[in-house]
Amino acid sequence: MSTTKLTAAALAGIVATALLAFAHPVVAAERTVKIAAWGAKSGPLRSFGVNSEAVLKGAIKAINDSGGVKLGDGTMAKMEFTYYDSACNADQAISIARKVESQTAALAGIGPTCSGAAAAMYGIFQKKVDDKSDSGLQFPILTDTAIRPGLAKKSQWTFRNVPNEITMYDALFKWLRSKYPDVKTIYGGTETDQAHSRITFAAVIVQKAKKYGFEWVGGGIEGVSGKIIAGMKNVLKVSKSSNWLLADTNFSVQARAFKRSGADMMIISSHPFTTCGMLKEMRRQRIKPKVLVGLTSSSSAETLKGCSAAAEGIYIPTGFAPITKAAAKVAAAAEANGGAADLHSAAAWENAHIIKQVVEATGVMAKPETLKADRRKVRDGLEALVKVNGLMGEIGRVQNEGESIKPYVFVQAQKGAWKVVHDPR
Amino acid sequence: MSYYLGLAQLIGIHTLLGLSAYVLMLTGQLSLGQAGFFAIGAYSAGILTVIFEVPILPALLAGAVIAAFFAFIVGFPALRVKGLMLVVATIAFGEFVRLFFFNLSWRVPRGDIVVGPDSTNGFREIRYFVANGWSPWEITAFVWTFVILVMAALWWMDRSRAGAVLRAVGEDELATQSVGVNLTAVKVTAMTAGGFIAGIGGALYAHTATYVDHLTFTVLLATFAVSYPILGGLSSVFGTLVAVVFIQGVLVEGLRFMGDWRNIVFGLLIIMAMNLKPSGLFDARTAQILKRAVGLGAQEKSDA
Repeated sequence: MSTTKLTAAALAGIVATALLAFAHPVVAAERTVKIAAWGAKSGPLRSFGVNSEAVLKGAIKAINDSGGVKLGDGTMAKMEFTYYDSACNADQAISIARKVESQTAALAGIGPTCSGAAAAMYGIFQKKVDDKSDSGLQFPILTDTAIRPGLAKKSQWTFRNVPNEITMYDALFKWLRSKYPDVKTIYGGTETDQAHSRITFAAVIVQKAKKYGFEWVGGGIEGVSGKIIAGMKNVLKVSKSSNWLLADTNFSVQARAFKRSGADMMIISSHPFTTCGMLKEMRRQRIKPKVLVGLTSSSSAETLKGCSAAAEGIYIPTGFAPITKAAAKVAAAAEANGGAADLHSAAAWENAHIIKQVVEATGVMAKPETLKADRRKVRDGLEALVKVNGLMGEIGRVQNEGESIKPYVFVQAQKGAWKVVHDPR
Repeated sequence: MSYYLGLAQLIGIHTLLGLSAYVLMLTGQLSLGQAGFFAIGAYSAGILTVIFEVPILPALLAGAVIAAFFAFIVGFPALRVKGLMLVVATIAFGEFVRLFFFNLSWRVPRGDIVVGPDSTNGFREIRYFVANGWSPWEITAFVWTFVILVMAALWWMDRSRAGAVLRAVGEDELATQSVGVNLTAVKVTAMTAGGFIAGIGGALYAHTATYVDHLTFTVLLATFAVSYPILGGLSSVFGTLVAVVFIQGVLVEGLRFMGDWRNIVFGLLIIMAMNLKPSGLFDARTAQILKRAVGLGAQEKSDA
């Protein structure tokens, strides 16, 4: 057979296999509680999906090992999950949501991991339940990683279990005030093309710092009063020479601006990839602030893998640390499944258990003919939740917004590990 | 079913994006600015339906006209350069547009919420279809009406003098100019038509996705736009559609079950496809075979 024919045969084979993938049966006959999850497993934010999947795998195994999920008629069913790669892409997240809703027997979804993809995807869901004039998707979602403020309230079918950064940074700066009474001035930068980093920096971090008496170098920023969002544009304006983009690989100009500021406290509001770039450059330029503060998303294994020496001493508030028995178990399970548990991914464990709790409380039947009603029960059950047990303690729910209030701790990078330095729980 | 319909909508919208690049490629020009026109159409139509509460059809047409206007304006300076320089110039335009929307904040209260583009937070609530109770079938039919109209218009153009002029410019500029064809006029017209088509695609995209932000319109989207006609072939307007089905339907969606291997296989299949069909998946030979299969070839032969 000629090479061309071989190539053609291989191409035809793969294309045929791909087309067969569309022909999944709509439902399986077996009674199982199915969950669909999706997140970035490719691209620069790949670690989000890898970690989330690893944690979820451990959670499902733990649930099944303890007997499974009790259905409405008393039958014990196993829990199953399928993880899809949405590549941190809005189109793909939407496409997966549609696929899961119409082509699978999944009772609920967990994901997507990226805030941008979540913001887009939530828009195709029915805004208010029972609104017949709204043809949006009717499928319950409990997101684990996408942390950008205010997303879940877009639809009554979408819920999140992510930390509340406003509360966390408020407590962090209050604590830093008492720990470092001599620290007066702050300076910082953010990756401006990432909404989460940028908004948390300008609308939350700088405001909370101001609230507890830390002033931006040079006499403060006009409009910044300590209230959320106040003077946000001016924050980004004064920090324009110290900001960067997610794809940047050179931070010398920004680090020089940090150095020139001579601030006591420096803030790096970005994800692990550029946080490490910036920290390494600061180390090269021998910049040693009295206090260094980072973005919640950087309290992860990636930061320590990428730049543990440069990150030494950085303070970050986080919704996860392996300090309880349950959290330590999750950290071990994630590692065993090729991922890492952090403030983002650990929520996948809690989400699987929350869905189990809701399924058992609402009498879900998990039969093909009850699929639509079961999904509605799960949604209603999620909305009705007031408190649930989390890995770090009790998680409160904000029912009308679909959001969570999670316990948190403050960690500091010390000798290649995240050490809990303050536990306000 | 909503999944397949959603996929059909995506294929339709990407076909429009690909066709916007196809028109220009007939004149031998490669533009990586199509994502910019797509973005202009998306934001313009979105602003019209969300902020000004204009119905979808006039909003969509306005988005397309605004995109075409910018394509016309950009066409004059950009098409004075050729080849790689044009690629760089159009990338610069695409990035300019992306960064404009990255900074655009225009928020107005609408009921109990605030709507409109919100810089890095993106532009949410472009929910015209779902908020008005359009079913997935109706949305798909709406999208494909435009795809069919545009494809029919381009198919007809390809058989007219206008198509011959475009292809002549693409084949040999000097020879075409020597017979009195105004090259700038032809190229700018092609650019404007491409902008119009991309604008329609962008407007439809914004309303099916319900959300857009600057990250939607990166160079990657522009690369997809030119990849479709290249992979599908320039011999026919159907080549772009075949390539979009192959990439979005088979490679992106069909291979999702492969998990981590998907991206590797994606690249390999593109390379294999281009090796097997260097003139495009839907080249002149394939078109001939299809024509013969449906009996059109025999008809043409007897006509001759």
